Amino acid sequence: MIKKEDLKRYANLLMFDMDEDEYDTLEKEFKTILKQMDHIAEIKDIEKVEPMTFPFLNDDATLREDEVGAYLTVGEVLDNAKEEVDDQVKVPKVVDEDV
Amino acid sequence: MYKAKSIKELRKLLDDKKVTKEELFEESTSLAKKYQEDYNSFVTILDKFKSKDSDSILDGIPYSLKDSFSTSNILTTASSNILKDYIPVYDATVYKKLKKAGATLIGKTTLDELAMGGTGTTAATGIVRNPYDKERLIGGSSAGAASSVALGITPFAIGSDTGDSVRKPASHGGIVGFKPTYGRISRYGLFAFASSLDHVGILTRNVEDAAIVTDVLKGKDENDMTTLKTDRTEYASHLEDSIKGKKLFYIKEICNLEEYPKQSTELKETLSDFKILLDKCRELGFIVEEVSIDKKLLEAIYPTYMTISCAEATSNNSNLTGIQFGPRPKADNVDDLMFKARTKGFSELIKRRFILGSYILQKENQEKLFLNAGRVRRIIVDKINKLFEEYDAMILPASGGPAPKIEGTTEEVTDDEVVLENHLAIANFGGMPSITIPFTIVNGLPVGVNITCKAKEDCKTLNIAHEIEKVTGLKDIYKEVD
Repeated sequence: MIKKEDLKRYANLLMFDMDEDEYDTLEKEFKTILKQMDHIAEIKDIEKVEPMTFPFLNDDATLREDEVGAYLTVGEVLDNAKEEVDDQVKVPKVVDEDV
Repeated sequence: MYKAKSIKELRKLLDDKKVTKEELFEESTSLAKKYQEDYNSFVTILDKFKSKDSDSILDGIPYSLKDSFSTSNILTTASSNILKDYIPVYDATVYKKLKKAGATLIGKTTLDELAMGGTGTTAATGIVRNPYDKERLIGGSSAGAASSVALGITPFAIGSDTGDSVRKPASHGGIVGFKPTYGRISRYGLFAFASSLDHVGILTRNVEDAAIVTDVLKGKDENDMTTLKTDRTEYASHLEDSIKGKKLFYIKEICNLEEYPKQSTELKETLSDFKILLDKCRELGFIVEEVSIDKKLLEAIYPTYMTISCAEATSNNSNLTGIQFGPRPKADNVDDLMFKARTKGFSELIKRRFILGSYILQKENQEKLFLNAGRVRRIIVDKINKLFEEYDAMILPASGGPAPKIEGTTEEVTDDEVVLENHLAIANFGGMPSITIPFTIVNGLPVGVNITCKAKEDCKTLNIAHEIEKVTGLKDIYKEVD
């Protein structure tokens, strides 16, 4: 059984938080979906099946060679950044000054 | 004056110089503005007419793009606060192709936040309403795309479909929603939701228009390695191919009323009208047969879809950090910045979906949840593909009735999920071409029928749908509102 504290831990791992009542809704939702997943596990011979990760094998899908080319200018890359310095996105300091 | 006309009708008016491209743009944008307050179809309505000349059939034809397609220098929010001021610097391939064809973009349409919803009620800019009844939803996630086409604003809109996001709103809006084969149309520049299920989709008011737009958009794209080799067949010129003797199947466990413990009048009427449609299909020359599929397998469609889509979405959206783009809160350090940006930027529903996805992907849960969902996906797809060895297409009601009321609708996962509302995801599991067209009116509201074929048989799908459209009496319908 999943606990609210576990859900909070998962949320924090994903770098966000929710309100208490939102965790309550999620806890309820989890119970339902885990019950449904239990039913899935009961499908006959499921363990013998190879999991499907793409709709079908696409023989046309090939990896092309990497090619160096100009796609975006520095200016375009920085267009949406809120702060920039020396052609780079500026973020709050990462390393403590004392280190 | 040119409202609700088809692509071909507009093409003729343009060629005969009875209207200019600019006049079509002006009329579409003024209709979009007029209906915006009541229906909320758009995030952005463009002000300036811009179009390149081309000899394509789409030259000068107005259209809209779902706000999750990248459009350089045009705000693209995916209806989420975390992207509320994001202006892309590159074009999605579909936008690039439509620009080259001379089609005129009139605006970006509202979606369920980050395309992760099926009701059209979760956009950061508010609820999208159904033109047939403002108290009802239009469905999602391509909600604004569907409502704008149902209102007659443009002849076509581009959406995306991960579980049914084009084909379900098409049913609720009385229009056509087509999701071609996985890889038929490039997804480069479409914000990813669940990459193994995401498709570009097209919304129109008739099957021919869907074929015309697909012909322009399809093709191999070196920016999307999942695209298929370009199919040189022109789908729009095969719509009148003979369907005599083509075999359709429907699934007993989905279409028989006795399967449902809660039998609303709308459900009864929908299933009864569906059987009438099957008889009309027989009269057209189709062979229609009933098949039976283990109900347990059909009931597994929804949890399988939730498991795969949430897991993939959690990973795909990890780039939304508030650093490179999006609103940036005041913060002491980078972690704090991301935490605040994501807490504030995502709505509750999105967070719940991400947590579910993260849980599914935890090492200890992968076998029972994520891998089992992949296994069920294969079992279902194999089952349907086996049937396609004998049959040309699967035909099913696209939903159990007309659009539900907005009040009382929730995006919470409950025990009430019924197969009839979730089976469209089969075509996403297997990448199959799948189309919804309106087939009946229940309680004054439209309901769609869905036709799905084997992967890569897009031409056949459109051909069959075009034939069935002839007997529905609902081709080219739209809702006239004040």
